[in-house]
Amino acid sequence: MTDDTALDDELPLAGLTVLDVSSFIAAPAAAVVLADFGADVIKVEPPGAGDPHRNSWQNPNYPRTEVNFVWQLDGRHKRSVALDLKHPAGRAAFDRLVARADVMIVNFPLPVRERLRLRWKDVAAVNPRLIYASLTGYGESGPDRDMPGFDVNAYFGRAGILDAQRYEEGPPGFSLPAQGDRCAAMTIVSAILLGLRRRDRTGKGGWVGTSLYANGVWSNGTLAQAALVGGFITPRPPRSRPRNALANIYRTRDDRWVQLTLVREDKGWVRLCRALERPDLPADARFATQQARRANSTALTAILDEAFAAQDWPHWRRVLRAHEVTFGVIERLQDLPDDPQAQHAGIIAETNSPDVPRTINNPVRLGFAQPRRAGPPPSVGQHTDQVLREAGLSETEIATLRSSGATD
Amino acid sequence: MRGPAVPDSATPPDDALPLAGVRVLDISSFIAAPAAATVLGDWGADVIKIEGPDGDPNRQMVQGSVSYPKSPINYAWHLDSRNKRSVVLDLKQPQARAALDRLIAISDVLICNFPPVVRERLRLRYEDVKAVNPRLVYASLTGYGESGPDRDRPGFDATAYFARSGLFDAQRYEGGPPGTAVPAQGDRATAMGLVSAILMGLMRRDKTGEGSWVGTSLLANGIWSCGVVAQAALVGAFLPPRPPRERPRSALGNLYRTRDDRWIQLVIVREDKLWPGLCRAIGQPDLEPDPRFATIEARRARTAELAAIFADAFAARDYADWRDILAAADITFGVISRVQDLPDDEQAVHAGAIVPADNPEMPRTIGNPIRLDFAQPRSAGPGPALGQHTDAVLREAGLSDAEIVALQPSPRA
Repeated sequence: MTDDTALDDELPLAGLTVLDVSSFIAAPAAAVVLADFGADVIKVEPPGAGDPHRNSWQNPNYPRTEVNFVWQLDGRHKRSVALDLKHPAGRAAFDRLVARADVMIVNFPLPVRERLRLRWKDVAAVNPRLIYASLTGYGESGPDRDMPGFDVNAYFGRAGILDAQRYEEGPPGFSLPAQGDRCAAMTIVSAILLGLRRRDRTGKGGWVGTSLYANGVWSNGTLAQAALVGGFITPRPPRSRPRNALANIYRTRDDRWVQLTLVREDKGWVRLCRALERPDLPADARFATQQARRANSTALTAILDEAFAAQDWPHWRRVLRAHEVTFGVIERLQDLPDDPQAQHAGIIAETNSPDVPRTINNPVRLGFAQPRRAGPPPSVGQHTDQVLREAGLSETEIATLRSSGATD
Repeated sequence: MRGPAVPDSATPPDDALPLAGVRVLDISSFIAAPAAATVLGDWGADVIKIEGPDGDPNRQMVQGSVSYPKSPINYAWHLDSRNKRSVVLDLKQPQARAALDRLIAISDVLICNFPPVVRERLRLRYEDVKAVNPRLVYASLTGYGESGPDRDRPGFDATAYFARSGLFDAQRYEGGPPGTAVPAQGDRATAMGLVSAILMGLMRRDKTGEGSWVGTSLLANGIWSCGVVAQAALVGAFLPPRPPRERPRSALGNLYRTRDDRWIQLVIVREDKLWPGLCRAIGQPDLEPDPRFATIEARRARTAELAAIFADAFAARDYADWRDILAAADITFGVISRVQDLPDDEQAVHAGAIVPADNPEMPRTIGNPIRLDFAQPRSAGPGPALGQHTDAVLREAGLSDAEIVALQPSPRA
């Protein structure tokens, strides 16, 4: 941090109570961000197994581990209350929590919200000051409003990102687990903050929300906007025949990939030739102008392929940097834990959680506050009694909830 | 009706937009940081874009970048600059830098993505700006963070968000090259992180009266987005590269090509329920009891064989037929849309992703993804011409006509 804002004693969202009834990742991750900055997040989940996301770490598409690493990331700071919202007593107890909350985060499918009386108009009746934050797959209305949303479909597939990521003749690209979910989470956070700002000025609560689909289209905004004016691009040609050899990837001798991204090309081309120790190349008429380089991109790529394959990555990192050539390296995740830049960027945080001693920070940086240090995430219903007592339920009421099966 | 319906809303829209009265000085360029300013502008902020005499390079991307679809319309500029006012100031000139201070003094937010060395040279670090206006929220975007070995590297989303984070590498097929991204894919996601940071800064200012530094980086957003696998990496666990489609982990959760070169992504929700319906849907009911494939274990053991059977079946019909057949059989599948499908996708309008614009050249645009029931986003006007509002804005900042004239850049060759 380079600024000189003194750290507040209090976190910016201290005093805010967030009721998180959502599941899986996109909406719960928004609650994590709020909790990181001081909100008291109460996670309401079904008794027994709780949020199905507690089992995601066993999903074959997730890396194999001994510890529930994902739950640490998506459950941190939260207090867990087990309530069966289909049970009348459970639903009534929930209203007691609604009455005291500032924000509620929901991602139930819309028909479920109707059945459980968890639409905005239902909870507004209990607490008109509440900020009700809604996440759906595809939006709150329309032919697909009831379709369950997974980010691979709603964010990446439907928004045209996967198709646009393909090489000619090749299959679409694919996304990583929850890759779109966590982007949507930042939108939910922004929406909630706008709702709170408005409440500060008017005293009124309100509905805010987003959908995975809207976030996917936003992320694909350049191509989507082009499509709206009838502009399209053909699938990416293969790496060996790129549109632009100076915005292409090259394999090094030690099997790492360097990604060239020369945007201001004329200066960049000359510097690249110096870095490659090829002083002959700028004079080569085939590559002397941007237009010529585009026309001869296959030939240029072949030359660059050979050049890059002759040295290891540490050489290229040193030399490209020294010559101010813009590049990226295709990093591997195994390098992340020890990457000093990730530390400097505030990306990795230590926890008080013995199973998962380091975690991934949300991307917001504030000069006046550090995110809270995370302990272990809650077990299902770990805080049921504590939270319900805070909400004013008596010991008898809590016992009745338990004996009736509304909680466990 | 502008914007999507918000059902069940008990709240009539406000007269004022939530960020009405907030003045944002956008001195950033390209996409990630300017897109955050666009979102603020959508919700009512007065966004003043400060550009150098050559303008924001984003003005040239449609024409100059091979990754951008070509069009006579500068759609990228309109998308990222809607509702912004453009002021040209050559910040290397002392008088222009002084004029910027006059604007800083009356602004609420400043958005900056200059490299640190440029900020030092132009005296545009937080400490410089705070001295002029201690109530300002200073929003910083960098490629890789504000300190560290890579702090001075220019950041583009392909490099900082996708490559450096490990995202591209994790997206490969066995033996294949790293994954790719669409233009500005990470930029616009990062913009929402920056918006969140700015709104927290404004919230704190409401409470304390004080400005602050807030920020984010492309790298932090890239790693956040691949949080699952990044968190796994921190406990030493990794996903092997995806096996090729011909040998998938499961033939029931695989991609298949249709006769007309579209793709269907099968999604396993409940495999035991899915298997019989799928066999019938592809017209091979005999496959269901076939002992080679009768159980989950058997199917996993013969995944290549089964994938080949499905691949042949899907290749025999067009996408539209498959969509109908699979829907009738209640089989969940993922749509791999093509971007050309978006303009006619009714659901995109309902989601507020496609909205009308007040721009005769570009009558529809892409909405930011925030929805509020108490406000509709401002209608998008055209992106400004370079310096279109210089005089008007500088007058608002209290400069006299003589001072404004003195700032005219010298004629360029």
